[in-house]
Amino acid sequence: MAKGLTRRGFLKIAAGAGAATGLSPTVRRVALEPFVRPPEEELPGRATWFASTCRQCPAGCGIIVRVINGRPRKIEGNPAHPLNRGKLCARGQAGLQAVYNPDRLKNAVRQSGGRGSRVFQPIQWEEALVELTTAIQGLQDPRRLALLAGMPPDHLHAIWTRFLQALGAPPPLIFDLHTAMEGRAESAALAERWFGEVNLPIYDLANADVIFSFGANFLETWMSPVAQSVDYGQMRQGRLGGRGFLVQFESRLSATAASADEWIPVEPGTEGLVALALGRLIVEENLGRVGRHREHAHLYRNINVSDAVEASGIPAEEMMRLARIFADAERQVAIPGGHLAGHTNGPQAMDAVMALNVVMRRLGREGGLFLPQPVPAKRFAKPVLPSRFAQVERLIERMQAGEVEVLLIHGTNPVYELPAWVGFQEALAQVPLVISFSPFVDETAVQADLVLPDHTYLEGWGYQLVTPGADRPVISGQQPVMEPLYDTRATGDVFLALAARLGGDAAQALPWPDEVSFLEESSAQLHDNSVSAYDARTPAGFWSRWRQFGGWWSKRAIRREPEVVRSSRTAIHVPLPLYRGAVEQYPFHLVPYPSITLSDGRGANQPWLQETPDPMTTARWNTWIELNPETARDLGVDDNDLVKVISPFGKLQAAVVVYPGIRPDTVAIPTGQGHQDYGRFAAGRGAKVIDLLGPAAAGEAGRFAFGATRVRIEKVGAVRPLARLEDLDGEGRENIR
Amino acid sequence: MTEESSARPSYRRFWPLIIVGIVILLAGAVVIRQRDASGAPEQPIDFKHSIHAQAEVPCLFCHASPMRSDVAGIPSVQRCAGCHQTIKTESPEVQRVLGYWERAEPIPWQAVNDMPDFVFFSHQPHLGAGINCETCHGEVAQMDAARPVANMDMGWCLSCHLQQPEEKVARLTDCLACHK
Repeated sequence: MAKGLTRRGFLKIAAGAGAATGLSPTVRRVALEPFVRPPEEELPGRATWFASTCRQCPAGCGIIVRVINGRPRKIEGNPAHPLNRGKLCARGQAGLQAVYNPDRLKNAVRQSGGRGSRVFQPIQWEEALVELTTAIQGLQDPRRLALLAGMPPDHLHAIWTRFLQALGAPPPLIFDLHTAMEGRAESAALAERWFGEVNLPIYDLANADVIFSFGANFLETWMSPVAQSVDYGQMRQGRLGGRGFLVQFESRLSATAASADEWIPVEPGTEGLVALALGRLIVEENLGRVGRHREHAHLYRNINVSDAVEASGIPAEEMMRLARIFADAERQVAIPGGHLAGHTNGPQAMDAVMALNVVMRRLGREGGLFLPQPVPAKRFAKPVLPSRFAQVERLIERMQAGEVEVLLIHGTNPVYELPAWVGFQEALAQVPLVISFSPFVDETAVQADLVLPDHTYLEGWGYQLVTPGADRPVISGQQPVMEPLYDTRATGDVFLALAARLGGDAAQALPWPDEVSFLEESSAQLHDNSVSAYDARTPAGFWSRWRQFGGWWSKRAIRREPEVVRSSRTAIHVPLPLYRGAVEQYPFHLVPYPSITLSDGRGANQPWLQETPDPMTTARWNTWIELNPETARDLGVDDNDLVKVISPFGKLQAAVVVYPGIRPDTVAIPTGQGHQDYGRFAAGRGAKVIDLLGPAAAGEAGRFAFGATRVRIEKVGAVRPLARLEDLDGEGRENIR
Repeated sequence: MTEESSARPSYRRFWPLIIVGIVILLAGAVVIRQRDASGAPEQPIDFKHSIHAQAEVPCLFCHASPMRSDVAGIPSVQRCAGCHQTIKTESPEVQRVLGYWERAEPIPWQAVNDMPDFVFFSHQPHLGAGINCETCHGEVAQMDAARPVANMDMGWCLSCHLQQPEEKVARLTDCLACHK
């Protein structure tokens, strides 16, 4: 018996506990709120499933949502959808917490205490629309209106483009940190340089037998992680006779690298030099089974393999071995990933990776590289792609110079997502009217005058052209699975109403009474199409099928072979990466990487995502700093010790995770935390790694070089235990906590 | 046991536990107060099952879905208003119901019987087996506010499942019959 516990005392406690236990069932009170007016097909207790589109990231996976009594309960992947084929990631599953989030705005608000006051007063939608109409009518010049958006659904982009074009305003500018860190704009530019088309290439992972991934964390956040994970599974299961082989080149062991056969920890920014050296070796030694490489010899003029050996730290024999692995495969493919885009030599590095596919003649071949087949209807012809960073900088300059009078912001949180050096917040102060369409009070909404909350995606309509595509043209359809919970309004409808009020060209360009009629009319463009996976006798029937299926797709796989337009006589030159911060003062490379759960920070207000452990470190609910065990020993720190990370541009403080999967000269910090606002689950938690970044090195303006900053680390001398599921015991064994 | 405690049992160290116990008891008392003496939870409307039963309204007229679904269903506000827009409109309680209807608000009824989430219970097979409502829910037709008549725990379920024909007992007493 425990110390000091008498029989009588024990009985008393037991009686108390018994009473407490006996009471507990009574404590549970459940309110059963019936429908006021039940939908005709509704049967209480029976689920209805609606097909729609996930909007937690821009991949555009198809979802089906289980709805009981008008409330969504569970989100699953749509088994009929050709992109994700019934699968869904943790972020997709957590989408319910966007709808039911307690920090949602319940109506349109005005920041009555002035920007930054966080004092919001509800306003009528009518009042908001009048104010917006008056502001646009009062512009001296329509070019003083600007729209900044995170990757929007395509229907919204189409409405905006028509609206802004009719007014004579510049087209919508697309920027968010998630797509910046996956190098989406750079990938599209890469396809333009090589194939003369601004689009995202499709890497046929499922049918490849050797994949060389240069900084593409394609099983986590890069591009279309669910579809790529399904493909990766097929590649591994040896469907084509033999298990596929994956080599990952990156400085930090990501979950993708952990799933690879080989992880090659190159120095950050030298991935392109490695790709170039591999290509040079293949051409020079005439490796592989594709015949002679004479036609590509010019690509590798003046390349010295020893330069890459020196820069990347990969020995020459190792380089040769890797070149042979790649060249001797039958269906090899090389992927230029998002990390490359974060360096000053990003475009050239991506060229070097693409050249590997060209040299091995992988264009349009099984397990190689394709371009998406366009959807056979005018309205769906062009995918939405992010703007180049130079355009974002140009907008900020114009804001700073007072050339922007009305700024509309949708689906992105630039005050949080852009590094401090860009000066977005200061520039925002120069804009007389700032309007946010965020359903949550995020850092940008706090700097806005009006917040006109959009529906969350489970309450709204839309469609999205799947980019990068599946094996066929696909449009993911989005439809409400529930009535909107609050007095929010679809941003598409706000713009249609605005156009009608403004009259003239705007009203003519957008004649639809609401976005649903726009969608229905758009869908009709595909009615009676011969490649359609389904058809109906009437356009109305077709529209109904569209909603049942969750979009439109072709009944069979169609992919396009890219044709190289880049001159084979132009040599590829990958310069050495430039870093900000001198080596002597700032000895470590900083690798900010997108959190698999919170992504660029948009997931931080969903507690399921905060709670989901990072797959490599099992840490959660906070920011951590990954240090190589050797580095940690040199600094005299261990797990959970607080350290300061200092760059020439900023500093942050967080706890250490000693992580063997990182180069000793590199530190890695996940993005996503360090919010000041954005609701109770996000605010005041962790630190923001993006503020450590500086502008790209001189002469490289217009680049968002998120991987090119050096830092130093200082021990703080305090401990802050991280919430982790497991850690290593110092000898490589896992301790479950 | 230490010398000190065997000499003079000290309750001082139990004070926090005792205080916690008292708080729990008080909280329990507050919760219990929300049910009347019969155990019926307090409802937003003083609804009387007995009056409706005397008027020979069948159970399934309002609780319409147990033959087809897992749950019997709480009637929609529309169903209440369907009759009461013309019947007994002068009653203050009926006027409160119509108030919900006009404001298009759901009536926050309190659950009388609540199955825990780990039990997969469905009304449909029970009604299909010819069991009537009263077997589990008691003589609701005699009650004003509905109250639970059985504890609805696992022993209670099994007391009936074990009495079924021999060829069915194995299936009906399988764990997975209810805990899926």
